[in-house]
Amino acid sequence: MKLLRLVNLSIKRKLMLITMLTSIAALVLFSASFLLYDLISFRHSLSADLATQAEIIGYNSAAAMTFKDEAAATVTLTALKAKEDITAAALYGPDGKIFASYVRANNKSSLPSNPPPIDGIHFKKGYLEVFHAVSLDGEPVGTLFVQSDMSQWSSRAKRYATLLVIFMLISGLLALAIASKLQGLISRPILRLEDTMRMVSVKRNYEVRALKFYDDEIGKLIDGFNAMLAEIQQRDTALQSANVELRSRTQELESEISQRKQAQEELLNAKRIAEDASRAKSAFLANMSHELRTPLNAIIGYSEMIEEEIQDTGHFQNVQDVKKIQSAGRHLLALINDVLDLSKIEAGKMGLHLESFDLAQMIQELASAFQPTIAKNFNTLELDLSGDLGLMRADVTKVRQILFNLLSNACKFTNHGAISMRIARTEMNHRQWIEFGVRDTGIGISEEQQGKLFNEFAQADVSIARKYGGTGLGLAISHRFAKLMGGNISVDSDLGKGSVFTLLLPAEVNAEPSEPVKPTVHENVAVLESKPQADTILVIDDDPAVRDLMSRFLTKSGFHVVAAADGEQGLKLAKRLRPRVITLDVVMPGIDGWGVLRRLKADSELAGIPVIMVTIVDNAVAALNLGASSYLVKPVDRDVLTDLIQRHRGNHISANSQDVPVSVSVSSEEEPSCT
Amino acid sequence: VPTILLVEDNEMNRDMLTRRLERKGYQVIAAHDGGQGHELAHAQSPDLILMDISLPVMNGWELTRRLKSDEATKHIPIIALTAHALATDRARAFEIGCDEYDTKPVDFARLQGKIESLLAEKKTS
Repeated sequence: MKLLRLVNLSIKRKLMLITMLTSIAALVLFSASFLLYDLISFRHSLSADLATQAEIIGYNSAAAMTFKDEAAATVTLTALKAKEDITAAALYGPDGKIFASYVRANNKSSLPSNPPPIDGIHFKKGYLEVFHAVSLDGEPVGTLFVQSDMSQWSSRAKRYATLLVIFMLISGLLALAIASKLQGLISRPILRLEDTMRMVSVKRNYEVRALKFYDDEIGKLIDGFNAMLAEIQQRDTALQSANVELRSRTQELESEISQRKQAQEELLNAKRIAEDASRAKSAFLANMSHELRTPLNAIIGYSEMIEEEIQDTGHFQNVQDVKKIQSAGRHLLALINDVLDLSKIEAGKMGLHLESFDLAQMIQELASAFQPTIAKNFNTLELDLSGDLGLMRADVTKVRQILFNLLSNACKFTNHGAISMRIARTEMNHRQWIEFGVRDTGIGISEEQQGKLFNEFAQADVSIARKYGGTGLGLAISHRFAKLMGGNISVDSDLGKGSVFTLLLPAEVNAEPSEPVKPTVHENVAVLESKPQADTILVIDDDPAVRDLMSRFLTKSGFHVVAAADGEQGLKLAKRLRPRVITLDVVMPGIDGWGVLRRLKADSELAGIPVIMVTIVDNAVAALNLGASSYLVKPVDRDVLTDLIQRHRGNHISANSQDVPVSVSVSSEEEPSCT
Repeated sequence: VPTILLVEDNEMNRDMLTRRLERKGYQVIAAHDGGQGHELAHAQSPDLILMDISLPVMNGWELTRRLKSDEATKHIPIIALTAHALATDRARAFEIGCDEYDTKPVDFARLQGKIESLLAEKKTS
């Protein structure tokens, strides 16, 4: 622990401590050896001194010894009193007995009783003792004993020690002063470096630099530190500028987001307002059409009646005038109908009634109905139905209306010219399309006018409306009808040379994606056209559970289901709804299933509707002989029934002429799509 | 001679339709509002009813519903005549119990066809 504390001392203190410890150790060692040497040599000189003294005393007292003059010997010995360090002296006779002696007053040690046989000097119990043989003229006369205490030596030692301590203190202080002065050489740069580092780390100030003092290792350390600091400062500056940019970008983004949110809200608001306005417009148009139709009803009705009456009475000259009233009334009616159509399209209420029809036959009928209009402006109509057009599945009324519009326009704007209609089946993007081209040699349309041709009320020219009449809505409606069926109308025209309108429609029009179908079961009342895009299936069965069940799963399969509880109601609904397929129970109260089937097949209008007999009585042969298309035995397998209906659905149109019974086992035929 | 009850509030249309129907040989009785239509349907028991929809007192929907839920009158075929040419009106007409539906202004030949077929249907059943 103590060592640890030392280790953790500041570098300044450590340096001083090291210096002090080193110098003190050197001083102590030096002083101790010096003191030891001095004391030893002093001791030698002391004993030599004492030996010399003993020789002198021995010489002086030899005579007294020889003559046994005790007093003289004692006087000689007592002279030693002057010598402070002599504590005792004695003269022994040759017999070894004490002849004379001197003992200092405060001496406590006793004289040795017998002298040793030989001379010598030795230290004994803090005293220096000398035995010296006394002789006279070569004749031994006795032995001298001199004892000296070490007071001289010890006082010298004390003096020396004191001097040494003082010397050590002085040199220690000097070393301290020097060390404290010189440690700065090392500690100051380090301490300054440390200060700088603290400043950098605490204040994050990367601009300061550590001060370099000398070009030693610490100097190099400081250089390295400063270089590191410069690098950090550079990175910090870069980081800060990046941060500033990031913050400003973030702010920009935030403001942009809030702007967008606001814009979105405004858009939503605008959309809501627009939708409200659109609804209001539709309602207004519906009301207006009602208000306009009522007086129009009277105008047309009366003029027709007057025409009949005039013809009855033979006043033929007025017939033309009445016909003009009628035609004006009909024109007004066409306008109202067009406006209503357009408002229905815009309100999204225009549904599609999809059915399969013979395209060539429809075109032929249309062309023959158009013959008087063609002839009016002395035009000719040429039909080009290339190849086998086959069946088309679309809303036939709308297709007819589009073609009617295109042909009407061609007739209206062409005089003494040729109008041709070309219809062909093509394939594009893996889909079958029908292309209708209506070409005329009339006045043509300028490029500028072509651009707005399909907008509402945008007849190519205001003057045209005056000269040729028309609502200006025909092309707009046609265009939207085409879009509704997934097709398009385009125009290509040269001013003065004529125009070509091209209508492109899918050969199999898909109904718009319908919302999830809810089962709609009606016990006694049928609902018409609530789901015009779905095929209507009429379920005739007296068991409400069966009606409910069949309605549910057929609705789920995408059909519009109408249910009848007995044969009478079933026949009525069949007549009114012209369903795509009828499922018919056999055992029913009132007219049974066989009776219903017979009456359905007897009615020329209903005979074409495929009938699937669904019953517990297994009599397939009778059913098929009576004209049923298929026969199923209860309990009905849902998938089999759906499959069967899917297959019969497509046969509706041609069913009139060839009602081919389809047995349940046939399953590999391609199914027409019903989405 | 088949009797036709015409329920129509517009005077001109009532007059015009009455005269045209009479010219075609029908006997026509006319009512100018829903209440009178209801009375005449019960009192005269006509063979067919031509029903305008927007009528005072009781509108055509309501009158049709009443006549079709009444044992005495439910057998009389009703043709709804409406100026609302929206598909929803057509659906509603059948939903409420009308046997046929046509829009105004009337295409007289088409209307006569519908009258004839309903009268024929009634005769057979």
